[in-house]
Formats: sequence, C-alpha cells, structure tokens
Amino acid sequence: MDILHYLSIGFSVALTPLNLGLVLAGCFIGTLIGSLPGIGPINGVAILLPLAYSVGLPPESALILLAGVYYGAEYGGRISSILLNVPGDAGAIMTTLDGYPMAKRGEAGRALALSAVSSFFGSIGALLLMVIFAPLLSKLAIQFGPSEYVWLMIFAFTCLATMVGKRPIKTVVGVVIGLLFATVGIDSGTGILRFTMDIPNLFDGVDFLVVVIGMFAISEVLVLLESWARNDLKLTPVGKSFVSFADLMAVKWVVLRSTLSGFLIGVLPGTGASIASAVAYGTEKRFAEGHDDKFGEGDIRGLAAPEAANNAAAAGSMLPMLTLGIPGSGTTAILLGALLMFNVTPGPLLFEQQPNIAWGLIASMFVGNIALLVLNLPMIGVFVRLLSIKQSYLVPVIVMLTFVGIYSIHGDSFDLFFMIVLGIFAFILRKLGFSLAPVILGLVLGEVLEENLRRALSISGGDWSILLNGTMTYVLAFATAAALFAPKLLKILKK
Amino acid sequence: MLYDRIFAGALLVLSGLIAWTAFHFDVPFQYEPLGPKAFPIILSIMLAACCIWLIAKPDKNAWHPNKEVLTKIIIGLVIMVVYAALFEEAGFIIATTIVGAIFSWLFGEKPLKAFLYALALSVISYFLLADLMELNVPTGLLLGDL
Repeated sequence: MDILHYLSIGFSVALTPLNLGLVLAGCFIGTLIGSLPGIGPINGVAILLPLAYSVGLPPESALILLAGVYYGAEYGGRISSILLNVPGDAGAIMTTLDGYPMAKRGEAGRALALSAVSSFFGSIGALLLMVIFAPLLSKLAIQFGPSEYVWLMIFAFTCLATMVGKRPIKTVVGVVIGLLFATVGIDSGTGILRFTMDIPNLFDGVDFLVVVIGMFAISEVLVLLESWARNDLKLTPVGKSFVSFADLMAVKWVVLRSTLSGFLIGVLPGTGASIASAVAYGTEKRFAEGHDDKFGEGDIRGLAAPEAANNAAAAGSMLPMLTLGIPGSGTTAILLGALLMFNVTPGPLLFEQQPNIAWGLIASMFVGNIALLVLNLPMIGVFVRLLSIKQSYLVPVIVMLTFVGIYSIHGDSFDLFFMIVLGIFAFILRKLGFSLAPVILGLVLGEVLEENLRRALSISGGDWSILLNGTMTYVLAFATAAALFAPKLLKILKK
Repeated sequence: MLYDRIFAGALLVLSGLIAWTAFHFDVPFQYEPLGPKAFPIILSIMLAACCIWLIAKPDKNAWHPNKEVLTKIIIGLVIMVVYAALFEEAGFIIATTIVGAIFSWLFGEKPLKAFLYALALSVISYFLLADLMELNVPTGLLLGDL
C-alpha cells in the first residue's frame, strides 16, 4: 500500500518534537485568531509567515505551523459567532444563525461542544478524502503540459469571478491587478527589467510578503480603526459544556453531507470556507423541509452543517494547492506563496519527490485536528476568556508584528513604506467592494501563468491553437465555460 | 461623482501607461515567439476593458465615512508612516512604545495606561524577538551596545 507507506513517512515528519510543538502552537494561535472578531485566518497566516521565514524554519515545519493557523481558525471562528453573534471569520457567518439563539437559550456550552465535534468530523472526513484523492490527482496532473496549466488557471480565475462577490467584473479587475504585480521585476525569459521604475528594491520583483501583509494586515488595521466603537460586548455565560450521544446521532447525516459538499467546494479553485458553509446551511434547510421551523432559532442541524462544511473546505482547499499548485482559497494562496519562498514548487511531483513536505503536512493535520478537539472541548474556557481582550491591547501587537516581520526579511525600511502604500491601496479596494483574495491569487499565479503561456507558444512556434489540443484541454475549457455560465443558467432555471 | 468611476478612470489611465511601457520594452534578444511584452499588454487590455465596463455601469457609493472616522484613519496612517521612519533610526523599543501607545489610545485606552502598556509590550517583545527568535530587530538609540 503506497498510501500507508507515504502516510508513515508523513507521521515520522509530523511527530518530531519541533513539528509537534509547531502544530500545537499553530492550532492554538489559529483558534485564538479565529475567535477574535476582525482578524481572520488570512491575516493570521500573513502576519506569521515572515516571522516563520526569518526564524529559518525548514519548509515543512513552516507549512505545518501556518496550516495549523489556517484550519485552527476555522474552529475558532465559531466561538464568537455563538457567544457574541459576531462571526470570528468569514467562514463562521452562518454559524451565528443557529449558534447564537442556542446561547441565548442558555445552551452555549452545548452549542460550543457540538460545533467543535462537527468541525472535527468535517476536518477528518475531508482529510481522509484528501489522502485518497491526492495521489490520484497528482497522477493525472503529471501528464499536464503548459496548455493544460494555462487552462487550469483560467478555470480557477473564472470560478473565483463567478462565485465570489457581487460583481464578477470587480473580481476580474482584482485578478488582473495581481497578475500585473507579478510581472514586475526581471523577466526570467530574457533578463530585461519590467515595470521597476528604476527602484532597485523592485528588481527582484514585488516581494510577496510585503504585498500580502500590506494588503491584508495594514488595511485590516485601517478597517478596525474605522469600525471600532466603544461598546462592551456582553459575553453569554457558557454553562456546562458537553456533547450528548443523542445530539450526535441527530446530526450524523447532516455532518456527513456537509463534509462532502464542503470538501468539494474547497477543492474548487477560488471558493473557500465561507461559500461552503453557506451552501451546507442552505442544503440542510432544504433537506429538513417540513421540519425546518426551528432553523434560525437554534436548531442543532443548522449549527452542525456550516461548521462541518467550513472545516472540510479548509482541508479541501489544500488539495489543489499541493497537487496542482493552484490554491483553492485566499489563505491557501498565501500558503502557496510561502512554499515558493522556500523554493518548494507545489505540483504533481511534490508528492513523489518531497513526500516529507506533502505527506508531513497531511499527517500534521490529523495530529492538529485531534489537538484542536482537545483545545476546543475541555479547554474552551481559555478562549472564551481571551475573547474579552480589548482592541486597544490587540491592535498595537498586530501593528508591531507586521513591521517586525517585514523589516526582518531584508532589513530595509523601503519595504515598510511600500507595505503602507499597498495597505492604503487595499483599503480603497475594500471600500469599493473589491475583495482582496483575487489579487493575491493573481500575484502567486502570475509568474506560472505567463511562463506556461510562453512555453506553450514556443512549443507551437507561436500558434495559439495549441491551447486547444488534446482531451484534457477540451475538458478544462468546457469546465471554464460551465463555470462562466452556470450561475446565469441557474438563475433562469429558478424562474 | 461615483467612487467606482473615479477609481476605474484612474486604472484606465494606468492600463494605458502599462501597455505603453510594455510596448517600448527594449528586448535585445528573444528565443520564444511571445516574449516579455505580450503578457503585460494582454493584461492591460483586459484591465482597460473592465474599467470601461465599470465606468459605464458603476456601483452606488457604499462608503459614507464621516469626518471623525476619516480623521481617525488619517491619524492611523500618519503614525504608521512615522513608525516606518522611526523603526530603523530610533530603534524598535522607542518606535514601538510611541506608536503602540498612540494606537492603544486611538482604540479607547487612557493615555497613561496606553503608554505603560506600549512600553511593557515593546521591551518584552524586543527580548522575545531579538534574543529568543533571533530576528533582525533594530536596536537604534537605546541599548546600542547590547
């Protein structure tokens, strides 16, 4: 059994003292970041990435830490959703609908416990699917040539445009801005400088970390400044935290369905935890038709569905990132950028040539989820108490960590100023209803897209028809067309 | 005036500049048919097309900041710029104490408490980051010899 062999390699990586410590730290930080309203997983990963890089962690350890923050945050997001009616991150918005009413009824402990267990099963289910599908997908992807990769990326951007946000056109603008950022610097094909404006710091290209931190963390601080108001949120008392067997039995099919749909949505490029939880909630509401009068008033099915789905999506979005090098969500785009910084190129060969990274990460996610279950059941009280950290203590820490992180990469103040400029730009984008994930996706994929496009055309001698050549390119082109027109068709069908 | 139109207009000008710059890249030799010009030019055309669409069909202004909010954001920006300027020159501890205190105050802390918190934060973090994690943290004026 190949899979068992690779998994054993994975666990031997994940269970070294350093990596075990990092996975625990990542899960703890992730749960904390997820539970604090305002900073979501994307910011947490962005802020920690330069620190992990500068400290000199090996690539698999850095990835294990950052991924821990990512899926840990999907657990943490529910805490403030349930207790405060404020989602801790975007994936936990649906959790407020039935979680908060339960807390108001005095069942906060029951809601927290059940959602933790749902999250756990969602994650583990998705991980098992990943273990099965990752080798298959990489076997398929190993035959991909440059044309297939070009299509794959166009497909990813199309999914992003049609499924995220209200205005597809604004998503496209975001992607193009990201792709253009990626063209700055020395062109690898000819060695000429492009768009550097004679600034030496840009000769190597726009630093990925500076863009990510500037656009996410700095703009987040500005948003927090804007939205902050002096209000003391009232925490609902947690009460007794327990999981009853009857509750589990009542939601077992809900969790299973939501895990499957969450995983699939996570795998689709560009669509992540927030869409997965919304879809799962909607599906379960339809399934319960006739008995759905409790939905929105504290139904445990409405609580379990989004929590299983958002965790399954978080794990699912790692699959295309690792096997194809195409991130499934904004946060995995940052993880992909992190791998590239460590000179690790994700793709079909990763699983064979560097099994310690790919399988080490997967194994660490099993370990991490068990740790998260412990953190979120018996130790839930710690996070509830941390929820009352004041913004006045939190924001200085965020600002400090972003500056230290960016400065420590090159030791150059230029990066700090550039980061602030990007932060202002991102703030404007956010205020005008553009989302930032497309920009980051464009940035990480820009170089690969251009390289593959140029490679394809040099194979064909400049003939563009090479892009539609072979079964796989037809399939991907068809999938792109389907992603483009599916939302419109669905609208017509509904009428 | 709609923000979308202003922004899309600015991007439209930018896309023109990008296309113009890319068109004038000086490429001494090139082994492949596409070269370094084509990709940016394709992107700038896409950007321009999207911008024209946005100018024709802009969204309503959804952002209505009042004076108080704008002042706060500008103060926040100014102190971040100050932080960037002080970071290397004055060193981590001084810069973080000043900037951390102002941020803490902006988020509702009383001035003295904000200052004490920022002081403690910067001193503790300095030793954590510089000694424990061995990061490149500028010492600056204080502790120059340590």
